[in-house]
Formats: sequence, C-alpha cells, structure tokens
Amino acid sequence: MKSNRLAFGFVVIGLLSVLAAVLYAVGVLQIFTSVTSGPHTKHALLFAVLAVACFIAANFAREKVY
Amino acid sequence: MGLLQGATELFPVSSLGHAVLVPSLLHWSFKQSDPSFVPFLVLLHLGTAGALLVLYRDQWVALIKGFIAAAIRGQIRTDTERLSMLLLVGTIPAAILGVFLESRIKSLFANPKVAAIFLITNGVLMLGFEVVRRRAERRAVTNARTRAEQEDHFVTAERISFRAAAIVGACQALAFLPGISRSGVTIGGGLLAGLRHEEAARFSFLLATPVILGAGIVEVPQLFSGGVPVGEYVGGAVLAGLAAYASARFLLRYFRSGRLDPYGWYCVGAGLISLGLLALNL
Repeated sequence: MKSNRLAFGFVVIGLLSVLAAVLYAVGVLQIFTSVTSGPHTKHALLFAVLAVACFIAANFAREKVY
Repeated sequence: MGLLQGATELFPVSSLGHAVLVPSLLHWSFKQSDPSFVPFLVLLHLGTAGALLVLYRDQWVALIKGFIAAAIRGQIRTDTERLSMLLLVGTIPAAILGVFLESRIKSLFANPKVAAIFLITNGVLMLGFEVVRRRAERRAVTNARTRAEQEDHFVTAERISFRAAAIVGACQALAFLPGISRSGVTIGGGLLAGLRHEEAARFSFLLATPVILGAGIVEVPQLFSGGVPVGEYVGGAVLAGLAAYASARFLLRYFRSGRLDPYGWYCVGAGLISLGLLALNL
C-alpha cells in the first residue's frame, strides 16, 4: 500500500519514538517502568529501534517517482 | 549449567524452564531470586547467540546487506531482503512485550512448580502444533510417498507473510514464562504459517539472535556490578555456545524429516516427574 499520508504518519510516530527514547534515556519518562527513578536503557533502546522501524516503514510506504 | 542451557536453548524444551527446575531438583546452590540470576541466564543466552551467529555467519552478512539496501531503497527486490524485513517485523513485537512485561514475569522465576506446570503446557502446545500440521498435510498432499516429499509442499522462510512473521515473533514473548520454549513456540508458529519443519527451525534460530543479543546488551552490564564470579559465568557462556552449536546442527538435520512430537512428550513427562519430585520434596 503506497501512500504519502501513511508515510507521513510513520514519520510522526518515528519522531515521537525518538523523543520517547531520549526521555527514557535521561530518566525523565517513567511510564511503564518497574523502577520509578533513573534512566531506563531497555526502554530507550526499544523506542530507538521502533523509531528506525518507523522511518523504514515510511520509506516503504511513500509514493515513489521513477 | 552452561552445557544444560546451551543444549536445551535451541531444542523446543525450554532452556529457562530447565534452568529453573534442574538446580532446584539437584539442590545446586543457585539462588534464583538473586539479582545476578537473570543476567547470568542472559550471559548463557549470549553464548547461544554467538553459536547461532557462527552457524549463520554467511546468511547474517547477506541479511544485513539486504536489510540496509531494502531500507534505503524502500523496496524489496530479493528473497534475502524480504527475509531481513520479516525478521525485523518478527522481532519488534517480542521486544515490545519483553520490555513491558519482563518485570512482572520475572516474579515467576523463583518458583520451580510454576516452571514444571509451564513445561507440561509447552509439551501440550508442541503436540497440538503437530496435530494441526498433520491436518494441513492431509489437505495439501495427496500422493507424497516420503516425509521429504510431504515437506516439499510447504514453503521456505522467505515466503511467509509479514502478518505471520509478526505473530510468530510475538509468540517469542511466551518464552519469558519459564517452561515455555521460545524455539518451540516459534517453530510451531512457523509450521502453522505453512513453513517446512527445517525452514521453521531456521526462521526460529534467525529470529532468536537479535532478541537474545538485545537482551544481553541491557542485562550483562549488571554482571559486572561486583560480587559476581564473572570468570565462571563467562566459562559457562562458552560451554553454552558449544552445546548450542552442536544442538543447532543436529536440529536442522533432524527437522528435514522429524517432527515436534518427541519433544512434546518429553516436556509433558519431564514436567510431571518434576512436579512429583517437588511435591515429595526430594
């Protein structure tokens, strides 16, 4: 399914994931964590991977001009 | 412990279940509630991941190249590129469920009886997967004379759908329950998705590597926090890797014509015996 609107959606989710990764890494975000203080490397890594996956998905979803 | 983990990790019999049950039954001095227990298991898993990387080194080089090419191009052109994207899609659900459910599941680790019950559940699952598969074989195959011919009617790992890859990947999260086998549920999921047995095992092994490496990256630093016999643990990881390499070679050969049934019966039997021994406090 090729759609620039879908690709834009993936980019937005990707950017939000980058933000979440940074906030978890510096210990600002504490949602869904077992310990309620300090940085959360595992969560930060997960959101970083999700961000990469979203950007790849956006590249797949965008309409290509040949 | 390293040999036990390495030998059981890739067999569909739950290494984690055995790692919780066997020390308890043999009265080994592992404290399963100790903070270094889970990182120790992760270090053993890293030994296994190392073995898988060595076994599939050529494929991983091709997969990484294919992944980068397809990601930049935004288009899949080869089977290798498709497989690399299937692995990404399969890894994400397991990573999400692992990160958010891990702490709750960890609380189950300290209970060998729970592990025994899940081991029995794992056995029933393996047997169930094969029942469903046999039905699919009866529907699909009319004139096959050998198991190899039967298997030829099913597909390779590169050909499964992205939805199936995501579901098989999500099944990996079940393996956080001690007693449920990661390779068992992913091989079983692969069979339900229409893969050949050998291909389901290959997909399972490829899918395992990034998850195990990812878990290792975040857990292993805890081992070096002091008071942990790192040398012994690393020695265990090396033994785990050697045992895993031998296991993977055996399983890939076995699944050319073999099924999950023997492992299913083993899990049911081992779980029942363990429950009995634990109940009798032997």
